[in-house]
Amino acid sequence: MKRIGVFVCHCGSNIAHTVDCKQVADEAAAMPGVVHAQEYKYMCSEPGQVLIQEAVKEHNLDGYVVTACSPRMHETTFRKCAGRCGLNPYMVEQVNIREHCSWVHADKEAGTEKAIDLMRMGVAKVLKNEPLKAATIPMTKRALVIGAGIAGIQAALDIADNGFPVTLLDREHSIGGRMAQIDKTFPTLDCSACILTPKMVEVAQHPNVELMTYAEVESVGGFIGSFDVTIRKKARYVDTKRCTGCGACIQKCPSKVPSEFEMEMGPRKSIYVPFPQAVPNKPVIDAPHCRYLQTGKCGICKKICPTDAIRFDDQDEVVTERFGTIVVATGYQQFDISAYEEYGGGRIPDVITGMHLERLLNASGPTSGKIKRPSDGKEPKNIVFIKCVGSRDEAKNRPYCSKTCCMYVAKQATLLKEKLPASKSYIFYMDVRTGGKNYEEFYRRTQVDYDGHYIRGRVSKIFQVGDRLIVRGDDSLLGRPVEIEADLVVLAAGMDPQHDARELARTLGIAYDAHGWYTEAHPKLKPVETQTGGIFLAGACQGPKDIPDSVAQGSAAAVKASALLTKTELTGEPMIAQCNEAMCSGCGLCVTICPYKAITRQPKQERIHGKMRERMVSTINSGLCQGCGACTVACPSSAMNMGGFSDEQIMAEVDALCQR
Amino acid sequence: MKELHNVNVAMRTLARELLESGTVAGVYGWKKGSRPTLTSPLYIQDAAKADRLAYDQYAVSNLSALLLDHRNNDKKRAIFVKGCDSRGVVRLLQDQQITPEQVLVIGLPCPGMVDEAGSLLTKCAECRFPNPVMADQVLGGVEVSKQPSAPTGVTAEAARKVGVGSRAGERMAQVAQLEGKTAAEKEAYWAEQHDKCIRCYACRNVCPACNCRDCIFDTEKKGWVSKAATSSANAFFAITRAMHVAGRCVDCGECERVCPMDIPIMTVNRKLQQDIEALFGPYDAGVDETVVPPLGRYQTDDPEEFL
Repeated sequence: MKRIGVFVCHCGSNIAHTVDCKQVADEAAAMPGVVHAQEYKYMCSEPGQVLIQEAVKEHNLDGYVVTACSPRMHETTFRKCAGRCGLNPYMVEQVNIREHCSWVHADKEAGTEKAIDLMRMGVAKVLKNEPLKAATIPMTKRALVIGAGIAGIQAALDIADNGFPVTLLDREHSIGGRMAQIDKTFPTLDCSACILTPKMVEVAQHPNVELMTYAEVESVGGFIGSFDVTIRKKARYVDTKRCTGCGACIQKCPSKVPSEFEMEMGPRKSIYVPFPQAVPNKPVIDAPHCRYLQTGKCGICKKICPTDAIRFDDQDEVVTERFGTIVVATGYQQFDISAYEEYGGGRIPDVITGMHLERLLNASGPTSGKIKRPSDGKEPKNIVFIKCVGSRDEAKNRPYCSKTCCMYVAKQATLLKEKLPASKSYIFYMDVRTGGKNYEEFYRRTQVDYDGHYIRGRVSKIFQVGDRLIVRGDDSLLGRPVEIEADLVVLAAGMDPQHDARELARTLGIAYDAHGWYTEAHPKLKPVETQTGGIFLAGACQGPKDIPDSVAQGSAAAVKASALLTKTELTGEPMIAQCNEAMCSGCGLCVTICPYKAITRQPKQERIHGKMRERMVSTINSGLCQGCGACTVACPSSAMNMGGFSDEQIMAEVDALCQR
Repeated sequence: MKELHNVNVAMRTLARELLESGTVAGVYGWKKGSRPTLTSPLYIQDAAKADRLAYDQYAVSNLSALLLDHRNNDKKRAIFVKGCDSRGVVRLLQDQQITPEQVLVIGLPCPGMVDEAGSLLTKCAECRFPNPVMADQVLGGVEVSKQPSAPTGVTAEAARKVGVGSRAGERMAQVAQLEGKTAAEKEAYWAEQHDKCIRCYACRNVCPACNCRDCIFDTEKKGWVSKAATSSANAFFAITRAMHVAGRCVDCGECERVCPMDIPIMTVNRKLQQDIEALFGPYDAGVDETVVPPLGRYQTDDPEEFL
């Protein structure tokens, strides 16, 4: 029989307060197989670990149980501790008598009884433990960043600066993302383009960066270290190698389309670059709006092009490339204000969103920076902002705060006052949230120096009377209704996940929350990791974020990705499914139930009834398997077993619990 | 049975041709047994023995599980099937224990199976798929159907008269009756049933869904499951068996029919069918081999009420 040690941790008074640790140790010592049991105040501390190591040597232990906090806290500590004294790290079981016992019970007698039961289960399990060894996985030293907004650009730059090749992919034909659309940035009011475009140029010219714009991820296979990503490069109809970006084609193109970049407040051509500082600054043809591609008549761009770069026969190109790690930085989209029927969003032309106003404020925007309202081009005098439109509203299934609106409204009110000194901004708010360096100060200035009139309350209705808008709401501080005659209403639309965020998540095999924001591996301690090894998150795809946060996350994700890229091979997780091929009947139920596509049926040569025959058995890809255990439950033959959680171990635990 | 006279002749002729031409290496069918009310399984490899084949209202045995004897053999076997047998064949195909190339399925019309006293078996009265759900060829004018349907072919009228499928709507009645009991009553009921079990494993041996290479009840793993026929070990066996075929049971009712101790095994199988349908929507196992069983597939919108 194995020689087992049991170490009972007090966790100060966290455990000892509700559990008689001495009694637990005494009971443990009496169990068959247990040759040593002792208690100590902090097993995770340096002296605690030394104590374990000495006991392992002195009593020649084959394995041990630590009854302490959750394995989420210290399993690695105690496994490494075993490794240091020559034991296989997987000959250790940590039993949770804190979260599962002392913290949730008040009665010491009952708590002790439960702790003893849990300890007995741990001992029964560790007696069945087998040493586990992790397989190694090769590492492809190349990263993919999906989404080239500010977070993605920052991540790509940092990975590239660390010396690794990185591909920066975006589905739009210019990098820059949302930040490129924004006029000025809070709280310093520096021009967004002025700080973004140098980064765009830097990333485009970096020798380690490959730009892949106008491209979308179609499918992702493989696993950490070798993701096989299939990418669709959309037809541009322009040969980027020949095109010099002279713009002659854009000037001559006769077909005008509302510009998405300008929030459809201005036109663009069918052959276009979205904005003047676009990178790469080479146009693409918008096929559904191109006269030649739709009717076969026109072709002016081809005639005028001095370098013969127009390719009307261009086709989508699908490539599959291998990457070791992926950073997802796909950002957000603005909430669709038409959901607020009472505000006339999308129906009344002078009810616009924050992003519309950004474009109106911008010197290269559709009005060249003049504030003209969309309906008649008049300069507005009274401007009403309404905050929390598509944020903090349970009825619209947006219970979360979009985090940036309080500050961008303050910024826009400030900018409006600077541009139109005679104007007046009224801001309806629920709460003003200005957490962030120099944010609160900025908000104060908006109120004090820029005449921002903040009204606490919700707006119930907006309607048109003549060429003015009547905004009817409630001032909850004064407790009375208010009505403001406005020329322009700006809805501070919140952030939504990208409309296809869920689809991409499923392609990548990463988790998302009820709204479609990507889920980090731990809300505090693993903010840029996902549950899927080798895939990291940056920016607003994980939840509403402003520019500083997005940049910080981009860098953080880059560090995580780079740390992987420095390795030539990775150590896999040994607690994964194992298939007993002798038992496996090859039915393939595990193949269809596996969420990670980690199982395949492979032929196995075998001598059956005196003849060499081939039969199919399940094989597990150790890189893909996440140890979820779905296959072990589905397998009718019990051929599938989980390393560290085998049927025998779990059965032993149940037996131990039932036999008291 | 006079309606089946021509079918019997055709069966023998076809079997003889298939064996003589070498199209198949063996044929699964039935033969007349030692009593007039007994029609038992027959496997022939010799064309000369084709005349022993017989099929009538006593040919109750589901032959499909017998194909497992040849799962590591490349040669083709022919098998005669009723509706329930054909679902067993689909089970084996879907579980990838046999390949379509290994089997030639010949569909037969089902007159409804009767016991020695001549009364229709419960499983036939509750039958929803009396016609083969798949077949390479058919005899006796039976129609292949993947939908619940009325009996077809030369015995359609006879089957209707004895009441095949007449109680299909009440097939969950036994489950409902047990669900009405308290937990203590249910425990007592099942304890009484499981105490009868002699662990002969007839239920397992006849079942087309029990197609593991090594059954866990035959393994030597100490402590996993006791081979002793004690109350708790019997219950463990019964529950494990039911869970192993959950979502895969083709509802042929053979386990309950072959049980020498009259344990109502199908009640457990049906309860699982009912629960699976409540959670994952309507599903008939062993009908369409392209539809993955609900408990064998992963979907992001699977119910997760426990989370």
